Amino acid sequence: MAGKLNKFETPSSASSDSDMELALELSEQVFIDEDDYTRAPASPTTVPNVRPYRPPSTGSNITKSPRARRVRTASMSQSTKRTAAESILHADRRTIYTAGRPPWYNCTGGQEVEPFLIGICGASASGKTTVAAKIIESLNIPWVTIVSMDSFYKVLNEKQHQAAQRNEYNFDHPDAFDMDLLVTVLQRLKEGKKVEVPIYNYVTHARESRTKTMYGANVIIFEGILAFYHADVVRMLDMKVFVDTDADIRLARRLRRDIVQRGRDLEGVLKQYMTYVKPAYQSYIAPCMAHADIIVPRGGENHVAIHLIVQHVHKQLQLRGFKVREKLAVAHIGQPLPDSLYVLKDTPQVQGLHTFIRNKDTSRDEFIFYSKRLMRLVIEFALSLLPYSEVDVDTPQGFNYKGRKCDVEKICGVSILRAGETMEQAICDVCKDIRIGKILIQTNQQTDEPELYYLRLPKDIKDYRVVLMDATVATGAAAIMAIRVLLDHDVPEHNISLVSLLMAEIGVHSIAYAFPQVKIVTSALDPEINEKFYVLPGIGNFGDRYFGTEPSYDE
Amino acid sequence: MELIDTDIRPWNAEDVREQFGDSLSLLPSNDNIKELQTILRDKNTTRSDFKFYADRLIRLVIEESLNNLPFTDCEVVTPTGALYKGLKYGAGNCGVSIVRSGEAMEQGLRDCCRSIRIGKILVESDTDTHEAHVVYAKFPEDIARRQVLLMYPIMSTGNTVKQAVNVLTQHGVKEERIILSNLFCTPAAVQAVVDYVPKMKILTSELHPVAPNHFGQKYFGTD
Repeated sequence: MAGKLNKFETPSSASSDSDMELALELSEQVFIDEDDYTRAPASPTTVPNVRPYRPPSTGSNITKSPRARRVRTASMSQSTKRTAAESILHADRRTIYTAGRPPWYNCTGGQEVEPFLIGICGASASGKTTVAAKIIESLNIPWVTIVSMDSFYKVLNEKQHQAAQRNEYNFDHPDAFDMDLLVTVLQRLKEGKKVEVPIYNYVTHARESRTKTMYGANVIIFEGILAFYHADVVRMLDMKVFVDTDADIRLARRLRRDIVQRGRDLEGVLKQYMTYVKPAYQSYIAPCMAHADIIVPRGGENHVAIHLIVQHVHKQLQLRGFKVREKLAVAHIGQPLPDSLYVLKDTPQVQGLHTFIRNKDTSRDEFIFYSKRLMRLVIEFALSLLPYSEVDVDTPQGFNYKGRKCDVEKICGVSILRAGETMEQAICDVCKDIRIGKILIQTNQQTDEPELYYLRLPKDIKDYRVVLMDATVATGAAAIMAIRVLLDHDVPEHNISLVSLLMAEIGVHSIAYAFPQVKIVTSALDPEINEKFYVLPGIGNFGDRYFGTEPSYDE
Repeated sequence: MELIDTDIRPWNAEDVREQFGDSLSLLPSNDNIKELQTILRDKNTTRSDFKFYADRLIRLVIEESLNNLPFTDCEVVTPTGALYKGLKYGAGNCGVSIVRSGEAMEQGLRDCCRSIRIGKILVESDTDTHEAHVVYAKFPEDIARRQVLLMYPIMSTGNTVKQAVNVLTQHGVKEERIILSNLFCTPAAVQAVVDYVPKMKILTSELHPVAPNHFGQKYFGTD
């Protein structure tokens, strides 16, 4: 199983390799055609298929998504329909199409749902990774991440490194792991924050300069030989699985793996097994069994056990389901408008532009032209709200001019797909060489909840002033999700501006209530939204009108 | 050049009304606009930056100038079926740029009004007497019936604009139907123009005793 999966190795659905920028997606249905099962996903996040050498004392380090098995659909609209038809929580359906990540926060912006954290502990070569892979496969839900304890090996100094070469370094002792880092990473994942997981190089016994970025997981599987060793880790785990495989089988697997696959000699392998691996099992690993909720004998072969685990996880996830948007829509009625709202001055031109783009009979050509003009004005207005300070410049006329200069060096635009993308041109036209991030949030047609599908942001986004763009804001559900994503990436709340052409009062209230420090900038404010969460009088579906994908009226 | 501090006081809307009546309006300033002006004033700004930020400021001035065009109220139905009370601009406008620096503003106007007709006036100043006279003018035929957006970014004496307005009125354009779009001008120039054509509307982004006269040369790269 492990060998077969290696061929498909890709980042798990909620994580990615991170050379230049972080990416997160489960959008294979967008990129890959129906008949594309065997090729590695063509997503931009595919990691280089290089398997580092691993110390002989641990299990195989496979981190992967269930995507290899999933049936792919060709277009996003198609997948949306199917998502609507099939809940992601139907455990027994073999084919479940990717859905987005449902909201994980409440309408105050705080965390509502923690990811479900499954710990898998077991001796080396007991089949932990196989169990993890089978759980993912049977879970059939997106946004599952595997964290391997192997990533947290300590960096070895020169002496230790040489000892490791002679099979004299104890990789099975708790001291071999950087437990503090492990606890921090798991804690942040549990809080829904973005984490950088180190990539351990088993040749140099050091961490590579690049890291693996993980974010947005719904279910996290943490596996390792000492997964239940640290009390803080045990406390965080929602479900603890111990894989108990017979010692003879484990030794046989180790021998085969180390000798056949890695070309090591029998003496060395047995020496290491007898000196470190076996004593470590007896002293540290076996006692961990007491913490386990479920003990799985025979590892990955045990279908009944895996089925039970999967059923339990599904049940837990189902119990956590809740509705953000409905709550958003009824909260804050009749409140005064927040101080963080900035509305573009209502000049005749602005009204004239609004008249064009709101009119249902406006042709697409004019709709695009006039909405672009309005976007330019809104973006210029948003920039004027940044902090500025005085500056003196010399002029060609020979006198000193007292001017202003923006204090912000690094500005980044982030658009909420699809409608927010239309504003990218406007911000690129006014800010030279600006970086643009993207977040895809779609409304689940069945639950009407926003769901996160895709995310691509500059690596060091926390250092940027972020202009978040969406063409319209109704309930604010998508904007709140996007802001929450930015906060999870450590962008300070006061460094975010949300810029829109049109907002509904209700959405403004919700956003300002959840994130009072976010600047909310718009060219117009409408009083109401209708039962379909469209703004009234509104613009209609901005994205459809701009891109020309309105449903035809004949249907 | 010696400048007295009171000369470069920031002009607010009230000062402007007191001094020049309703003729002059200032682009409502904010930090962003102030930064654009600072970059254009700075002698160390590169040409590429100069053009980029000049175009941004021009766009904002043009958008603001268009507010002075006549409009009527109207109601439209939105795709959600609701009624929106908006307004509608009339047809029959045109732009006129004063060669050469005024031409820098044509693109800004085109970006806002795609198919607007644009006329041109070439005014040359006598190097000895500093007297301006019109060398060339070409307008849409029916310019007398149109609102005219006159474009000229820098005004230090107002002589050129006075000559341009002369030509327009000779072609039958009423002076109250002319709007002058301007980026930088001196109070003296405004005074001269207002005294000459009191009914013309002027919009500028900054009133300052020293105008950045290098604008045209730097924008077109002939310095």
